[in-house]
Amino acid sequence: MSAEPPAVPLPALTREEILERLRRILVEQFEVEAAQVRLAARFREDLDIDSIDVVDLVLELRKLTGLALEPRQFRGVETVAEAVELVHGLLVAR
Amino acid sequence: MNGLCAALRLWRAMASGFCFLVFGVGALALSLTAFPLLTLTAADPATARARVQRTIHGGCAVFLGLMRLLGLIRWELHGGQALAAGPGPQGRLIIANHPSLIDAVFLLAWLPQADCIVKQALLENPFLRRAVRCAGYLGNADPDALVAQCAAALRSGRTLIVFPEGTRSVPGRPLRLQRGAARIALAAGVPILPVQIRCEPLVLSKRMKWYQMGDRPAHFRFDVLTPLPPPTRRAGESEALAARRLTRTFERLLAAAPLAPPAAAAGYALP
Repeated sequence: MSAEPPAVPLPALTREEILERLRRILVEQFEVEAAQVRLAARFREDLDIDSIDVVDLVLELRKLTGLALEPRQFRGVETVAEAVELVHGLLVAR
Repeated sequence: MNGLCAALRLWRAMASGFCFLVFGVGALALSLTAFPLLTLTAADPATARARVQRTIHGGCAVFLGLMRLLGLIRWELHGGQALAAGPGPQGRLIIANHPSLIDAVFLLAWLPQADCIVKQALLENPFLRRAVRCAGYLGNADPDALVAQCAAALRSGRTLIVFPEGTRSVPGRPLRLQRGAARIALAAGVPILPVQIRCEPLVLSKRMKWYQMGDRPAHFRFDVLTPLPPPTRRAGESEALAARRLTRTFERLLAAAPLAPPAAAAGYALP
């Protein structure tokens, strides 16, 4: 299962923009409060995102970044900062 | 009086040890005799599994009878007709709080066919792993795959028991559920049968040892609540949000079970 490549090239997102998109997903889809989404926040312990939520989160990130993200790429990602770095790194590498 | 209490405690500890020895040896003996025989003579895997689950069902009833005979436990079941009625064509999800080690044993003793989710340790337990495998119980190693497996089993008309806490309750702490059960219910779209379990005095809880049996029989009370209709998502609601909403409903229903039922606390004087 891989996402379609985006039809139009996406603008390179800054880390701040990635964080903002991630925050929006977490607030709208996962009942997280915006103020809680800080770089140091841990998904499981601080934001109550369980392993099944991660799969949904990755699908939402796919839509918002155009990246062909896979849930397994998120294994080992524990904090918001790590997620932002992962997405940023993938966007740069593309 | 203190001497009598101490003697009773010692007797109950030994009786409890005996019961769990019987449980382990019984499970192993069945795993090496009846289960392979039932499996090998079955026409297909589904039949084999059904036979093994029915045998476990009988074994659980015998085990509970032994515990009752030895004065370790008593129980009452309210709303048992709903359990006995069996699943409809679309299967059913049974959810319960999890105060003690033997909650599943009770439910299995009342259900001729029931799938369970078991922790990885049971799949490796030398006494139980063969039985667990023959019965087709589902290991919880991969949560995402597990939701899909459980939903498929339910949709095929099976009964599945899930303890949404994911482990035994921590005595004195508010009930906190994981969202896996809600995810399964949403993915399968089947009715949900909530069961409240209470135990007083509490035995075999998360922080207790198998030999801490108290000086009177542990009284279990099971209340089978009104079934919930198959859950659905609201317009525009994501799976994640629906799972959170449904989990709050489960919490409300199952948390109404205090660990000390007032009715059961009275009436059991020392023999």
